Amino acid sequence: MSTIALTQILLNGLALGAAYALIALGFVIVLNAAGAVNFAQGELVMAGGFAAIALAPLIGEATALPGLFLLPLVMGLMGLVGAGFAWLAYFPVRKRHQVAVFVSTIAAGLVLQHLANALFGAAPRAGPPLITGDSLSIGAFSVSLQQIAVMVCAALLISGTGLFLGRTQTGRRMRAVAQDPEMAAAIGIRPKRMITLSFALAIALAGAAGLLLSNQFFVSPNDGGLFMLKAYIAVTIGGWGRLDGAVIGALLIGIFETLVAALASYLVAEALLYAVLLVMLVFRPSGLLPERARARV
Amino acid sequence: MFPKSAAVALAALLVSSLTAKAETIPVLVPITGFLSLEGTAQRNGAVLAIERYGKDLDLDAEVTDTGTSPEGAVTALRRALEDKPSAAVASMLGTQMLAMLPIAGRAGVPLLTVSGTAKITEIGIPWVFRFFPGDSVVKVAQARYAVEELGAKRPALLYQTTAYGQSGAEHLRRIMQDLGAPLVFEEAIDISVKDMLPALTRMQEAKPDLILLHLHSGSTALVIRQARDQNIALPILAGSAMHQPTTAALLEPQQLGGVCAESASSPISEPEGPVEDFTAEYRARFGTEPDAFALAQYDGASMLIAAKNAGARTATEVRDWLASNSYDGLAMTYKSDGKGNMAHDALIVCYDGESAVPAIKRRYENVSGVK
Repeated sequence: MSTIALTQILLNGLALGAAYALIALGFVIVLNAAGAVNFAQGELVMAGGFAAIALAPLIGEATALPGLFLLPLVMGLMGLVGAGFAWLAYFPVRKRHQVAVFVSTIAAGLVLQHLANALFGAAPRAGPPLITGDSLSIGAFSVSLQQIAVMVCAALLISGTGLFLGRTQTGRRMRAVAQDPEMAAAIGIRPKRMITLSFALAIALAGAAGLLLSNQFFVSPNDGGLFMLKAYIAVTIGGWGRLDGAVIGALLIGIFETLVAALASYLVAEALLYAVLLVMLVFRPSGLLPERARARV
Repeated sequence: MFPKSAAVALAALLVSSLTAKAETIPVLVPITGFLSLEGTAQRNGAVLAIERYGKDLDLDAEVTDTGTSPEGAVTALRRALEDKPSAAVASMLGTQMLAMLPIAGRAGVPLLTVSGTAKITEIGIPWVFRFFPGDSVVKVAQARYAVEELGAKRPALLYQTTAYGQSGAEHLRRIMQDLGAPLVFEEAIDISVKDMLPALTRMQEAKPDLILLHLHSGSTALVIRQARDQNIALPILAGSAMHQPTTAALLEPQQLGGVCAESASSPISEPEGPVEDFTAEYRARFGTEPDAFALAQYDGASMLIAAKNAGARTATEVRDWLASNSYDGLAMTYKSDGKGNMAHDALIVCYDGESAVPAIKRRYENVSGVK
């Protein structure tokens, strides 16, 4: 395999991993805030893709950056969906048995899937491109402008999320609630508000991932399961509860899958990925970056 | 006394005739899950035929979503069998059909399907009728067109890991070998794979002169798009998923240049005649374009109604009628080969790179020599 081909494959893996990282990041934000796994995260990615398709006519073809203009709109809309999601699928059941929370999120995910099927039909659809234009060629090396845009957007969103959670007062409050809700409440922070905000942020990121993936890889109502699985594996590999771990785990999955598929086959890549996951669970269950101890669903 | 009892009997007869339930034909198809696109087309075709031709017989269609698991299909079938139907329209997903067939066989209810999986008519259960040409027909057409018309000598094959994909790949592998153009590369692709570049890169190293595809809709579009993005200009001869208007809608017309596909029919490619009427009615009823699966199931349900019009009432009578008669449908003439394979024609459509509507390039009639 030539160096050029290998570089192109690695870039593809990195772009896919970057989008997975956004999904995994949202997954961990909810995990930390609510102490529960949001099994609808994949369907919310799918919903973000369809939201982009539904909102695309607002932008029309007048701009060369249709997806980039849509990104804040989609994130805003999905943020609102996230806040609603918290009040519909999490708060009503959070004091019941832990199983109730994940059953509730699974149910919400299925509702989203069927809703998308009813509204948009079963066929895969292509979302708006982030930027117009096909590819950038340097000699024999050709790289898709969409891929570059996806990677840049994902990097900015991941960095922005890190800065927001680490450097702003609201972000610190969200982290305080994630670490110890009772203590946070004792010092005047409103846990419900912070948890709602966490859901909004996580689902806005899922929506962004949906938009980023929808043009190159299409979107269909049944895509949720795949995204959820990737996020789950990324978080398990990276480290439960760690934002940086989730991002690293997702990037590793993207590159690993693409590279092994290119050198051997998709079946080998898939089998090896799950084998690595099993090894991780046996020998390093806390992931690459150790988890901060806390009971979770 | 007599007039009173006669009046009571008459009243009972009237009440029973007024409350008599129309016969319901169960339509058990995957409306959700990875095959929902094709399953929805199958449902639409069956429903349209029953609505159009079943009125006089007081027939009604009851649709149940089978999802994509064999368990979902079995549950749906068991529930449907409680009403003792004379026939059922059943899933196009091969794994679901393989799970449903023993149950339908024991209950003695014929299943009408458009599943392409070869095995469903090879396991010796005489209660299945397939109205879409199986792999033994369409893969012959695909392979012959590749060799005879496109001059392929070194074909590469990308196929889905599902039962559908493996069945088609097995046929293509054998037929291409027999035609003197053995595969130089093949790769199985899971339905969840989004990035096709690894397979395309390894495929190029084998230096093929044609790409054969046997994939579902989304994967077909992803391969074509990513191949064209990588400036791979090889001709592509795809499976029936490519003829679906929704698949073509995912691609730019110029990306479709050099792309052909096998299919049982292509309703949108026929500008006049009864198929055009069907297309117009389908568009008006469902707000979407029909594909070959919809037309095949429409023909299948129409043949069921023809059986009933000919006097077949019970499930056994329907089975016997379907097994022993031929029917001139819109897509082709259907006749059982003794195993329940009713469709024996295939065609090849090609895109010109300017339009998303393909043109019919070649018809292969009576491939299995049954008619």
